[in-house]
Amino acid sequence: MMLFIRECKKIFHSLTFIIYFAAVILMFFTQFWPEMDEPVTSSTIDSYELAKISGEPETIMPKALDSLTGCYFSNTYRCYPYGLFKAVHLNSRDNDKIRDCITEMSSLNADELEELKAASSISHVKVGTNELESYNVKGVPLSVDITYERFREIMGEVDDILGGGSDYRPDDLAYKFSQEPMTHEEILEQYDEFMEKDHIAIAYGRLFSDYLGIILAVIPVFVAAALVTADKRTKMNELIYSRRISSFRLVFTRFAALVLTMVIPVLLCGAIASARIMYMYKGSTPDIAGAFAVSGKWLLPNIMLAAAMGMFISELFSAGMAILVQFAAWFMCMMMTSMPLYGHIRRFTFICRHNSLFYRSEFMKHYSDFIFSRIFYTAAALAAVLLTVFVYELKRGGKFNGIMFFGKDSIFRHKT
Amino acid sequence: MNKMIEIKNVNKFYGRKQALYDINLTIEKGMFGLLGRNGAGKTTLMKTIAALHQKKSGSITVCGVPIERAGEIRAMTGYLPQDFSMYPSMKTDEALEYLGALSGMKAADLRERVTDILHKVNLTEQRSKKVAQLSGGMKRRLGIAQALIHDPQVLIVDEPTAGLDPEERIRFRNLLCEVAEDRIVILSTHIVGDVEATCEQIAIMDEGKILWQGTVSQLINNAIGHVYTANVERRFMPQLKKEYIVTGMITQAEYTTVRIVSDSEPDLPNAVLTEPDLEAAYMYCLHSSGCGIKGDEE
Repeated sequence: MMLFIRECKKIFHSLTFIIYFAAVILMFFTQFWPEMDEPVTSSTIDSYELAKISGEPETIMPKALDSLTGCYFSNTYRCYPYGLFKAVHLNSRDNDKIRDCITEMSSLNADELEELKAASSISHVKVGTNELESYNVKGVPLSVDITYERFREIMGEVDDILGGGSDYRPDDLAYKFSQEPMTHEEILEQYDEFMEKDHIAIAYGRLFSDYLGIILAVIPVFVAAALVTADKRTKMNELIYSRRISSFRLVFTRFAALVLTMVIPVLLCGAIASARIMYMYKGSTPDIAGAFAVSGKWLLPNIMLAAAMGMFISELFSAGMAILVQFAAWFMCMMMTSMPLYGHIRRFTFICRHNSLFYRSEFMKHYSDFIFSRIFYTAAALAAVLLTVFVYELKRGGKFNGIMFFGKDSIFRHKT
Repeated sequence: MNKMIEIKNVNKFYGRKQALYDINLTIEKGMFGLLGRNGAGKTTLMKTIAALHQKKSGSITVCGVPIERAGEIRAMTGYLPQDFSMYPSMKTDEALEYLGALSGMKAADLRERVTDILHKVNLTEQRSKKVAQLSGGMKRRLGIAQALIHDPQVLIVDEPTAGLDPEERIRFRNLLCEVAEDRIVILSTHIVGDVEATCEQIAIMDEGKILWQGTVSQLINNAIGHVYTANVERRFMPQLKKEYIVTGMITQAEYTTVRIVSDSEPDLPNAVLTEPDLEAAYMYCLHSSGCGIKGDEE
């Protein structure tokens, strides 16, 4: 226990922890806090512009085909590879492949497509600082033989030709091409779920976790890497290596200290949010415990895995490499996040998103996958800590000095 | 319990480079000096004894425990590395408590032990100071304190006096002698004066090999008849240094009084045999073992 307290104190006094603390607080106040400006009531819920996604192939297919045909005519496709906008212009060979995809999905041949192009009007659409030429195409006839499964397959090929991240990614088709506003009755149903099933606070707990989960999937790595490399930086490692403590106990104590200290600012934000919710919904009984429970399940695996990876990669390579790897993994996770930002939690989703106080039923549809992912990443974190123990033991006994990319022990340096 | 370190036929490699060659040593209770030039392999041998390095072959037992049982070896060993520091933001007593906790000490015992050990190394007044605020000598004493915190049977100190002023060096040597009363203390150094002042048993290492092992007086006896003093004109000094091992020089006006180590009587008109000191005996040992040292160059 004494060692655990000492490790916690060391972390509290580190600059990286102070930065971590500030980052969590900043994320909380800039992203989540504005969502608590005013309470949700049956009269204000209409202002949330809730939409539903029908997901019906009859709606998706014609809209998606019209959109693709318009882009094909102008040879300008809007894509967001890695989340960044890119106007894709294909060479004639690839654009011909798109034409072949369109002719398979529609009942038009290449000549008829050219006729349609000539008959279509052109408009200019502004996307950020880019002005794109766009053909207004409506009513491209679908092939009578095309099934929705084949349609999705072809759209997958289109997305590949475009380099990914296009409007035609199969998983995003429903969101892009079958979204429509909810009716008033449907909105009131959402309100009822918010009040009766989420007991107010659980909905806020999900939204809180959505925002904080983004940074808690990456910034704990900085704190962990700093803790692990502090021994070497302060020339303390040989004093520690020569002690009686087992590598298992030392590494797990440090891991536990990292997780506990990094949970503290999250709990603090949770307490502030709870006080605000209690104040906003005076007269109601928000389920604060439920909110903490959902946030705990959601965020703890993120902190654990980021911390464990930080420890493991820092021991194996260096702190810089740990930050690089975790940041790359985080970036990939963020870019793989599908729209809309709810209802997309899968078994291996690391950064779970549910960027709304509503759509509880969408979240609950994937609840078992959510739980699976949380257990999976908790187990992955523990496995990474065990690997850290193994590497630490090797280093401690002089059997391994870590893998260096630079300096005199670089693996790229020719050894005689 | 068998209070002894036994090293038999130990070889150690860094990659393809051999760092220790067939080392055989027996170290008993008290101060033991490991003397050698920089790069002689002293630190490698110390770390191997402290279970921080792997040997390629041979055997080492510390108080009857084979070195392969690293956990037990670490429990009975205190180690002060040559180049060490501690978390600079920790206070002196906190650093000791932290390292004591890593040694498996209980919180209740630790507080008392930290007070005792700080008193022993004369750092009581600095207990609330941050490590970063301590002087070089104080840090060295703190280093000894951390190595002794768990009352180990074996204390291994690597070049502990390097960079200390004479007063701190003497204080440090006295401290080592005190703690060596009831345990094995291995002092590794290239400073002959440290060994002369503290150790009875010594070993001399060079290029990963043990050149000599025995008592200080035996080493000095070996050099009897090989150490001379002579008065030499200053202008002949460069030539003299090329031909002989010069271990001391005192310059007076036109003449320099030199202390020379030589196998035979030097070809100098006023050379007289003199009593060897440990430094001269050490140089003679290196020279007679065929180690390339200044004065051997032709």
